[in-house]
Amino acid sequence: MSEVNKTAQAKVDTRKTEINKGIIIFNKMGIWVIVIGLLVLGTIIAAAGGGNFFQASNIQSILEAVALQGMVCAGLFYIVYAGNMNDMSIPLTMALAGMLTVQSINLGFPVALMIGIASGVGVGLVNGFMIGKLKANPIIWTWGFNLLISGIVRVVWQGRQLYADSVAADTEYAQNAANAFYSISRTYLTGVFSLMALVMIIMFVISWFIHAKTSFGQKLKMVGTNYEAAKLSGINCSRVITLSYVICSTCSAIAGIFYAAFRQVASYENGTGYDFSCLTCVLLGGTLLGGGKGSVIRTFGGVLAYGILNNILSWTGLGTYEKYTVQGIVFLIIVWINTYSERKLGRG
Amino acid sequence: MSQAPNGAKAAWALEMRGVTKQFPGTLAVDHVDFRVKKGEVHALMGENGAGKSTLMKVLAGLFNDYTGEIYIDGEKKELHTPVMAKEAGIGMVYQELSLARRISIFENMLAGRLPKKNALFIDKKAAIEQARKSLERVGLGDLDPTINVSDISQCDAQLVEIAKVLDSNPKILVMDEPTSSLSSEEVERMFAIIRKLKAEGLAIVYISHHMAEIFEIADSVTVMRDGKKVGECPIGETNEEKLVEQMVGEPVKDFYAETQRHISDEVVLKVEDFTRWGFFHHVNFELHKGEVLAISGLAGAGRTEIAKALIGVDEHHGGKVYLHGKEVNFKNFGEAIKAGIGYVTEDRKVLGLALTQSVADNVLSCVIDKYSHGILYSNKWQNDLVDEKINDMSVYPADRDRLVNSFSGGNQQKVLMAKWLAADVDVLILDEPTRGVDVNAKQIIHNVVKKYVEEGHAAILISSDLPEVVGLADRAVILREGHIIGEIPKEGITENSLLIAANGKGEYVTCQK
Repeated sequence: MSEVNKTAQAKVDTRKTEINKGIIIFNKMGIWVIVIGLLVLGTIIAAAGGGNFFQASNIQSILEAVALQGMVCAGLFYIVYAGNMNDMSIPLTMALAGMLTVQSINLGFPVALMIGIASGVGVGLVNGFMIGKLKANPIIWTWGFNLLISGIVRVVWQGRQLYADSVAADTEYAQNAANAFYSISRTYLTGVFSLMALVMIIMFVISWFIHAKTSFGQKLKMVGTNYEAAKLSGINCSRVITLSYVICSTCSAIAGIFYAAFRQVASYENGTGYDFSCLTCVLLGGTLLGGGKGSVIRTFGGVLAYGILNNILSWTGLGTYEKYTVQGIVFLIIVWINTYSERKLGRG
Repeated sequence: MSQAPNGAKAAWALEMRGVTKQFPGTLAVDHVDFRVKKGEVHALMGENGAGKSTLMKVLAGLFNDYTGEIYIDGEKKELHTPVMAKEAGIGMVYQELSLARRISIFENMLAGRLPKKNALFIDKKAAIEQARKSLERVGLGDLDPTINVSDISQCDAQLVEIAKVLDSNPKILVMDEPTSSLSSEEVERMFAIIRKLKAEGLAIVYISHHMAEIFEIADSVTVMRDGKKVGECPIGETNEEKLVEQMVGEPVKDFYAETQRHISDEVVLKVEDFTRWGFFHHVNFELHKGEVLAISGLAGAGRTEIAKALIGVDEHHGGKVYLHGKEVNFKNFGEAIKAGIGYVTEDRKVLGLALTQSVADNVLSCVIDKYSHGILYSNKWQNDLVDEKINDMSVYPADRDRLVNSFSGGNQQKVLMAKWLAADVDVLILDEPTRGVDVNAKQIIHNVVKKYVEEGHAAILISSDLPEVVGLADRAVILREGHIIGEIPKEGITENSLLIAANGKGEYVTCQK
């Protein structure tokens, strides 16, 4: 035994060859290279039009534009990372949380907020139970569940949109609650930094912590990479998957509450399109659709890249169709760079 | 340029000269000359990761960036795509079968070139007839080509695969571990086919880790180590020891050294009347401290199924299991690990390892809860443990941050073993612990198992590799069609007695089912 050990330790890897350092740096930096590139591009384009890309109002509008998307991505990351591709029930999770919060505004703003967030936890538990425990197909189940919530919401509120100030009773307490609700999307710290953006960043920090520093994050890594191997390592895969859905839906619910406050109306339409636009951000950040690879910080980079690109496009004054074209090209380039550097490192 | 010098034209069916292939970070194949005569079986040997498979992949046209020259029948060929390789006359039979399991044999064989009746419909009758003819060539004339691949045996599937490759009339047939999942009778069948093909003038490259097979079937042998060719000679001029020495780079001693082990009377694991309907029935056995107990039998006798039910992954319908005298009933594998039972799976790639994660991630995957503080956890806290275990297993290169898929098969298996050593369980179930690994890795794994039981643990061995059972087991229970039909004590375990008993005959069979 010991003899074998010695020889193995003395053995040098004679076949090791150098890998291009640039590729390694590029692979490590990933999406941040793109973010910096876009910032430079934005500065140039803004300057060409006689503006300043880094002026406070522009930074504010970028952050505000990505805040809601970012909140969802902080949770959606876990679904993709676990290998379950996408949570199709995000739109109605957002809508439901907004509607429940507004509907219960008479109980006071804190309680209403709790009810909204709790609805997200509930949706996550159902999704997690069906997909983690009963092994339902993640896309089909969440898609179907999205339809189901949509139906319930429309039946219960008969397709109405809810306004917090009209739902609130004619008491000072209730009206204050409604005003507090509206104000959360319009609060600016030090005059510039919107509360929504701050909440998004806090959510990303928490999300990063859960992913990188907890035993759940480590288990999720194994489950996302190889479900069967994780199971045969004694990991309770059902529980891990369930928790990932709870995190995702909770984040979606928080985003949904801010959305309703921002639009000043809670409706079943709130959140439409967020399922795929958020998935785009997560994938731009380099998260592997098959699971097991990706990071929360890079997902944040993906969100920023998405927001900055849209902002630059608004500076250029291009029409909607041209914007789509440019967006498509940029996204394809980012995805290509991700796969190219992976392949050059021998991981593709 | 288009002709090999010295009139070698007729002699070599295949000649590779100075072939080099580099992957990001490693030189996989380093200036290798490899040549095969017409009508010979040429064995290509080497440890896992020596570069055999990469060399064969070059031949299969999977890389467009290899350097060096390849001559086929004396003619220089560029093999930059699989189609070019096929046209040049290369036929590949892969270790992992490339057949689609849920469609029929003839559809598999004629994929992409099904005969057509007219513009819209295929001519099923002609297709079946064509497939039948091809199957006859590999001795499967009476196999119905319309049944699904999933419904035929592993051996037949392997032969169908060969028939499919033969359809393109290759000059060179490459077989990568064609017998790794076959029983000994099936291996004989396979060999008969190979001899027939050889007589037809085909050049056959045969990759295998089974020494006995090499000496039975091969005419000459080339050995590779660390990406380079280290030897080539006719099979008559070498022997097992010499080959192993060439492969490993140094003499390997006492392959199955006889050690006196102390087996205590203490029963660690007791299984009573254990039943899962349709898989195994009324299974009884005891496992003692310090013992390696083999559950022996043919593939499909229910060996793996017993293991999976014991650890709570599969259900069971009756019976009792006692661990250290206490009755246990695991609802999931996590509970079993906590109680002290581990299971090394037979399929490291699909069931054993997270290939795209690091060694540390994998080695620690069973003990995340054990080493977490509240909800907090970090791999880095256990760096010493990981290093200790991968050194115990001689994982090479010993780098805990390296991704598992960049290791050779043998070293991946060592990582899998390291993971279970790190789990620190009392009873380890080893399911084919050395499948597809080279001699050196095999010896290391065997030594570790011996050391493990000597330290007061116990192991259950499930293996189709009979020399392995003979070398490792202290006792063997014989499983046949889900029933335990007998037991062989240490003195009685030989390859012969195991084989006879597995077929339900011989002196050790005590109850017939």
